[in-house]
Amino acid sequence: MTGTRIDRRLLLILYILALILLREWLIPVIELTNSDHLSLFLLFVALSFFLSLIKVKWWIVLPTKLLFIVLATHYVFFEKVLFTQETLVRLSGNFLANAPIIMNGDWERITNPFRTVLFFAVLWMTTYLIRHWIEVRKSILLFYIMTILFIAFIDTFGGYAADGAIFRIMVTGLLLLGLLAITRLAERHNTSVPTGTFLAISIPLLVAVVVSGALANILPKKDPIWPDPFPYFESLVQGRGEGGGGAKSGYDMNDSTLGGSFVQDSTLVFEAKVDSQQYWKIETKNTYTSKGWEQVSIDDVPISFIPGMKMGEIAGRGNVEDTAQLLADLKVSEAFPFIVYPYGMNKVYATKDVVFQYSEGAGKYSTEIEGKQEALDSYQVEFTESDYSLKKLRATRMEDFSGVAEDLTQYLQLPEQLPERVKELAKNITDNQESVYEKTKAIERYFGRNGFVYTQQGVAIPKAGDDYVDQFLFDTKKGYCDNFSTSMVVMLRSIDIPARWVKGFAPGEFVLNDADEKVYQITNNEAHSWVEAYMPGIGWMPYEPTIGFNSLTDIEYDIELNLDDTLTPEVKKPEQPKKEQTEKTVKTDKNFKISEIFISVGTWIRNNMWIVGAIGFIVIFAGWRLFVGRVKWLPKVLVYTHRTNQDDWVTFTRRYTSLLKQLNRSGLKRATGMTLSDYATMVDNYFGGERMKMLTTAYEKGLYGGNITDHEWFELKEIWEDLINRTSG
Amino acid sequence: MTHKEMIEKVLTNIEKVMIGKRDIAELSVTALLARGHVLLEDVPGVGKTMMVKALAKSIGADFKRIQFTPDLLPSDVLGVSIYNPREMEFEFRPGPIMGNIILADEINRTSPKTQSSLLEGMEESTVTIDGETMRIPQPFFVMATQNPIEYEGTYPLPEAQLDRFLFKLKMGYPTKLEEIEVLDRAEKAVPIDTLETVVSLEELIELQKAVTEVKVDNTIKSYIVECAAQTRDNPYVYLGVSPRGSLALMKACQAYAMIKGRTYVIPDDVQYLSPFVFGHRMILRPEAKYEGISTTEIVERILMKVRVPIDKVQLK
Repeated sequence: MTGTRIDRRLLLILYILALILLREWLIPVIELTNSDHLSLFLLFVALSFFLSLIKVKWWIVLPTKLLFIVLATHYVFFEKVLFTQETLVRLSGNFLANAPIIMNGDWERITNPFRTVLFFAVLWMTTYLIRHWIEVRKSILLFYIMTILFIAFIDTFGGYAADGAIFRIMVTGLLLLGLLAITRLAERHNTSVPTGTFLAISIPLLVAVVVSGALANILPKKDPIWPDPFPYFESLVQGRGEGGGGAKSGYDMNDSTLGGSFVQDSTLVFEAKVDSQQYWKIETKNTYTSKGWEQVSIDDVPISFIPGMKMGEIAGRGNVEDTAQLLADLKVSEAFPFIVYPYGMNKVYATKDVVFQYSEGAGKYSTEIEGKQEALDSYQVEFTESDYSLKKLRATRMEDFSGVAEDLTQYLQLPEQLPERVKELAKNITDNQESVYEKTKAIERYFGRNGFVYTQQGVAIPKAGDDYVDQFLFDTKKGYCDNFSTSMVVMLRSIDIPARWVKGFAPGEFVLNDADEKVYQITNNEAHSWVEAYMPGIGWMPYEPTIGFNSLTDIEYDIELNLDDTLTPEVKKPEQPKKEQTEKTVKTDKNFKISEIFISVGTWIRNNMWIVGAIGFIVIFAGWRLFVGRVKWLPKVLVYTHRTNQDDWVTFTRRYTSLLKQLNRSGLKRATGMTLSDYATMVDNYFGGERMKMLTTAYEKGLYGGNITDHEWFELKEIWEDLINRTSG
Repeated sequence: MTHKEMIEKVLTNIEKVMIGKRDIAELSVTALLARGHVLLEDVPGVGKTMMVKALAKSIGADFKRIQFTPDLLPSDVLGVSIYNPREMEFEFRPGPIMGNIILADEINRTSPKTQSSLLEGMEESTVTIDGETMRIPQPFFVMATQNPIEYEGTYPLPEAQLDRFLFKLKMGYPTKLEEIEVLDRAEKAVPIDTLETVVSLEELIELQKAVTEVKVDNTIKSYIVECAAQTRDNPYVYLGVSPRGSLALMKACQAYAMIKGRTYVIPDDVQYLSPFVFGHRMILRPEAKYEGISTTEIVERILMKVRVPIDKVQLK
C-alpha cells in the first residue's frame, strides 16, 4: 500500500470505527437470515484489521485467517472448539460435496458450512476494501453512504428496525470522515500532524459529533408526514388485500388482509324495494388477526329454514313491542349463494324451492337448492324495524355481562401482539362513561371528533410487524369503513365489551324505477362493514363508527332527559341524514363523470403497468435520442421559427445567435477567447465557402460598428438558411 | 481614393523593397497613422533601415537618421544655436530630430541624457532648446532600434521610456526563399532609389485625422480594459499594463482597423495588436524568466481567457 503512512494509534481508532460500521452491516444480515454467531464474524473482521495494524507478513496472515475460518466454521456446526478426527472428516466431506452442486449452478443446495465459508470470504474481501479506503484513499465516504443506503433500504423494505443503527452509523461515520479528512489534509501538505495538533483538531470534532448525536437522539422527533412507503406502494400495486380481485370495491369473502386502496365499482348488486333505508347484513366475523378478520367457527351447526318460516335473527327484538311488519323486495344481480337481509328479519319468501342454512356464529344465511349452494335472483324479506329503549340502554353496566348466559368469549378475542396503546386509548375514551351503551357510543363517536379522514385511496397495508388497528389509530388516521369498524371492535374488546365485525351493504341510492316505485339500488360501492356490540340484557346492537355514515339504530327516547347531553345529537339525526344524503347525491352526480374517468384511467394504468412502463421507457428514450440528436433536426425548426418577413437588425441578430449555438452543438466549439472572425474562418474551412465570414462581417459591422441599417437583409437570410441547413448534414 | 487604397499603395510600395515583411510594414504604418513610434529590437542587417527609408520615401517625408553612440550629446539630436558673426546673433541649427521620419539607430548605446532628449520629443512633439520651445514638423515618426545581443556598453531604456513607444517589434530573419528574392532584386540596382512617393504628407495628415474617427464600441473598450486589467492580476507579472497602455492599444486598433478598410474596431484588432502594445509595458517576475515565459506568451494566455464580446452586454 502506498501513500503517506497514518500514525499507528490513529489507525487503530480508525479501524475500530470501521469495525463498528461493518457491524451495522452484519447485524441485519445475521438477523434477516436467521443465522447466528455475529461475534464470530466480528472477531474475524477484528482479526483482519489487527493483523494489518501490526504489519504482519502476508505468509503469516493468510494461514492465520484460513485457520480462523476453518475453526469458526467447525465451531458453528459442531459446537466444539477443537477438531477431532471425525468432525474434520465430516467437515471436509461436506465441503467436497459442494463441488458438483456448484458445477451445476444449483445454488439453492449449497450446504450450510460451505455458505459460512463463503460468507467469511466476502468479509475478507470487504476488510481489504475498507483497509484500502482508509490507508490509501483516506476517504470512507463511499462506504459510509452505502452503509446508510443499505440500512435505510432494509428498514423500509425489510422487517429490520434500524432506529438505533442509523444513529450509531451517523456518529461513527462522521467521526471516521472527520479523522480521515485530517489525515488527507496532512498528506496534501506532505507533513505528518503532531499528536498535540491532531488532538486539538479531533477533540472538537468528537465533541461536536457526540453532542449533536446525543441531542438528536434526545430531542422529540416529528412523525413522518407520509405513511410508511412500503405498505403504500404495496397497496398501490396489489390493490386491496390479496383476494380483492384487483382493487375494486364490493363484497369479498376474504378479509384476512385489510388495508390498501380500492377503486369505485358501481356495478349493481341488488335492488331493494323498501320504504325505509336499511343496512343489509351478510355475515359477521369474530377473530381479529392484526391484519384482518377471519371467522373461526366453534361447533357451528347450521340451522335450516325454508321460505316463509320464522327465522332466528332476533337482535334487539323483544325489548320493545313489535311494530308493523315491513316488507322488502330484493332483486339480486350478483350470484351470491346467500342472502342479504335487514335487521329485524322475520321471514324470507322465495319462489324457488330453497333451503336457507343459517350459521349462527357468522350470522349468515346460505342458500341451497337441492343440497347445492345456489344463488337466488329475487326474494322477499319480512322484517320489523328494531327500536331500542334508551332507558334500558343507559342501565347497562359492565357487571351485567356476568349474568349473560350466552358464551361471548369468542367476541373478546384479541391478538397477543396488540399494542398496549390501543387498550389505553380505549380506556381513556370510555373512562368517564357509566353504561356499556355509553362507553360504546363514546368509541363510535371518537373517530368523527379526532381528525380521522375517510378516504379510499392511499390506505396503508400493515407490514409484517405492524397492527392494522394500531397503524390506523396512531399513524395513518385515514381509511375507509374497514379501518373504522375494525378499530372500534378491537377497542371495545380491549375494554371487555363483546363485539364483532359485520359485513354487508349500506342502504344505497334511492331511485324511482320504471314503474315509478321507490327502489334502493345497491352497488358494489355500497359494500360496507360496521360493528355489532353486545349490550347486556338487550343483545347484539349495530354501531356505525365510519365517518360520513349515519347511525344504524332507532332509539326510543323513553326517559325524561334534561335535553342536554346525548339527546340533542340523537334527536337531530333523523333530519341531518336526509340533508347529508341528498347533498351527497347531488355532489356525486356532478363529479361522477370526471372522477369515473380518473378512476378508470387509474385502473387501466394499474392493470397494464408493464405497458405503461414500456411506453414510458420508450418515450423517455425517444426524448433522450431527440435531445442528443437535436443537431440534426433543430436547423429545420430554426429555419421555420426564424422565417419572418421582418428583416432588420434584431431578426438578423437572433438568426446569427441561433446559428452560433447550432454550430456549437454540431461540434464546432468556439473558445471564450476566440473572436468571431477567427471562428468564421474555422467554420468556413469546415463547410467550405465563405458564408460564415459574410454573416460575421455583417454582424460585426452592426455590433462593433453600430451600423444596423445598411445591410443586405435578404441575401444574409439566404446565406444563413443555407449555412444552418448544412450544420445538420 | 479611399483611405484604404492610399494605405494599400504605401504598403505595396514598401513591399517592393522589403520582401516578406508585410506584417512589419503594416504595423509601422499603423504606428505612423496612430501618431505613435516603433521600437525595433533585432540584430543588424535584417532591413530595419530599409524599412524606414521605404516608408519615408513612399510618403515623401523628410528622412533623418541618428546613429546613437556613447558620446552623442543631446544637442547632436536636437540641434544647436551657433553664433553667426555676420548677423551678430545666435542662429539655430536644427538637429536630426527636426524631420518627419527618424531612424534612431541603436538607441540603447547612448547616455540616458541623450536618450531622453529624443524621447521627450517623441512624447511631446516639441523640443526645448536654449529655453525656446519649438514644434517638430508633422507627421513625426520615430523608429528606434536596439540591438539585443550587444549588452556590453549599453544603457538599457527604463520602463517609463519604453512606454513612449507604441509598438515594440521584432523583425526576424527572412525565409530562405525570401532572402533569395532579396538578392535577386538587388542584383542590378539598389531598389530603394527607384521608389516613388505615393502619398503626400498632407494626405498622410488627413489619414491621421481620419483614424480618430474610427469607431470603438463600448464592448471593445471594455474588452481592452479587461485585457489590460488581467495583466495586472497575472501571477507572473510584477508590473502590469498602465491605463496609458490601454489607451495606446485603442489608438493602434483604430489605425489598424483603417488599414483593414474598416470604420470600426473589432476584437481581432485588439487580439492582433495587444502583444506588440502590451509586451514592453509589463515587467515580469523572476519566476516567469526562470520558467522561460515571455511577455508575448502571457498576453496570449490572457487573450485565451478573456471573453470576447460577441453581443451587447451591459457594462458593469
